[in-house]
Amino acid sequence: MDSLISTFHLDVKLLIAQIINFAIVFAVLYFFALKPLFRVMADRTATVEKGLEDAKKIEQRLVQAETERNEIITAAKKEAAAVMEKTAKEAALRRDELIAQTKEEIGAIINTEKEKMRAEKASTLKEIKAEVADLVALSLEKLLDKKLTGKDDAEMIKKIVKDVK
Amino acid sequence: MKETNSEIIEKPAAAEGTQLPAGEGNIKTESTLFAEPLFHVGGLKVTNSLANSWLVVIIVLILSIAIKRSIKAVPRGLQNAFEMIVEGFLGLFDSVTGSRAKSMKYFPLVFSFFIFILLSNWMGLLPGVGSIGQVVAEGREKVFVPYFRGGTADLNTTLALAIIGVVASHVFGVMALGAWHYLNKFINFKAFLEIPKKIRQDPTVLVVNPIKAFVGLIEIIGEVAKVASLSFRLFGNIFAGEVLLASMSALLAFGVPIPFMFLEVIVGIVQALIFSMLILSYLTMNTSAEEH
Repeated sequence: MDSLISTFHLDVKLLIAQIINFAIVFAVLYFFALKPLFRVMADRTATVEKGLEDAKKIEQRLVQAETERNEIITAAKKEAAAVMEKTAKEAALRRDELIAQTKEEIGAIINTEKEKMRAEKASTLKEIKAEVADLVALSLEKLLDKKLTGKDDAEMIKKIVKDVK
Repeated sequence: MKETNSEIIEKPAAAEGTQLPAGEGNIKTESTLFAEPLFHVGGLKVTNSLANSWLVVIIVLILSIAIKRSIKAVPRGLQNAFEMIVEGFLGLFDSVTGSRAKSMKYFPLVFSFFIFILLSNWMGLLPGVGSIGQVVAEGREKVFVPYFRGGTADLNTTLALAIIGVVASHVFGVMALGAWHYLNKFINFKAFLEIPKKIRQDPTVLVVNPIKAFVGLIEIIGEVAKVASLSFRLFGNIFAGEVLLASMSALLAFGVPIPFMFLEVIVGIVQALIFSMLILSYLTMNTSAEEH
């Protein structure tokens, strides 16, 4: 043991000095480099894991939103179809109503026109009759002026007119 | 590094010729097994190896502060490199400890060993270390004393590291297993206390348990051997490397030492790795329950 110490110049003080050196290295590395680094690395791992989880959640939400959207679209389509159908029905009903109303109005117009025409015809006939009677009377007067008296004349005219009729 | 060595070998001759009378002032430049003292501070003999270790401490301090300042959630530059090293080591440690939690627990200590030893080994290879120094009179002889010598090329340093490592492994062992259980690994009281209980069922305990106790005593010797093997392995490798480089540069200062320089760079990493991994395996062994 003594030869070992003398050969290698072992010295307790030097040994302690080197132990202190190593302790300093350990403390400095631990507190300045490793401890903060491990904290940062752990934080980063946590952040990345959270990010991945969030991404998964977002994807799930996206899928959910997609299905929801599709559902909403189909519902809206259905509703729109129903509304369209209802509108079409109403429109048809309304058209029929309008047509019927128009028909009625046209009928009424035609009737009044017919009435008017009938009245006009009647009045025209009356006038024509009167004129024909006058004409006949005039022509008869001219033909029979001297042979017939007033009384016979009138009776004759009446008879002729009846026959004409 | 050793390019300058040739000058140093020449220097004594020049000095001899000009200043000193022949035969009296031969300056010795041999590689000593021990670190030479530079000066004294109080009772402490400051050796060139101790000075080199202080340099290592300063480098670690500067690097650590630089890392602390640059630490951000998004790594960049120095932090990136450091994180890569740390991650690599954690992977390596996992293969020894078997669990990430254990690796994280021992990481600061074991990594400190690695950094301290690696820097000390490499500092010994720097140009000027071992070749720039002063000439000191030692009795009738004049001896060349370099200002710096690789920290791990001194048994005091490696012994200190080995003692810290082995003691730490025992401290962690006591913390993990409890004092009584841990004590029985070495001085096996349990083996003797068991004999009266088990002797009726199995008389062989009379033979087996004293053997178990003896095995425990062997473990104590094993612990001393651990310190010896750790310290001498590191010291021997690094010191041999320095001697090798010195001899190579003595042969031819230019070119020849270069392959050996690369070799020593690798040896520096390998020895630092071996030392730290051994400490890690001692830590793992001592904190896991006895199985035999």
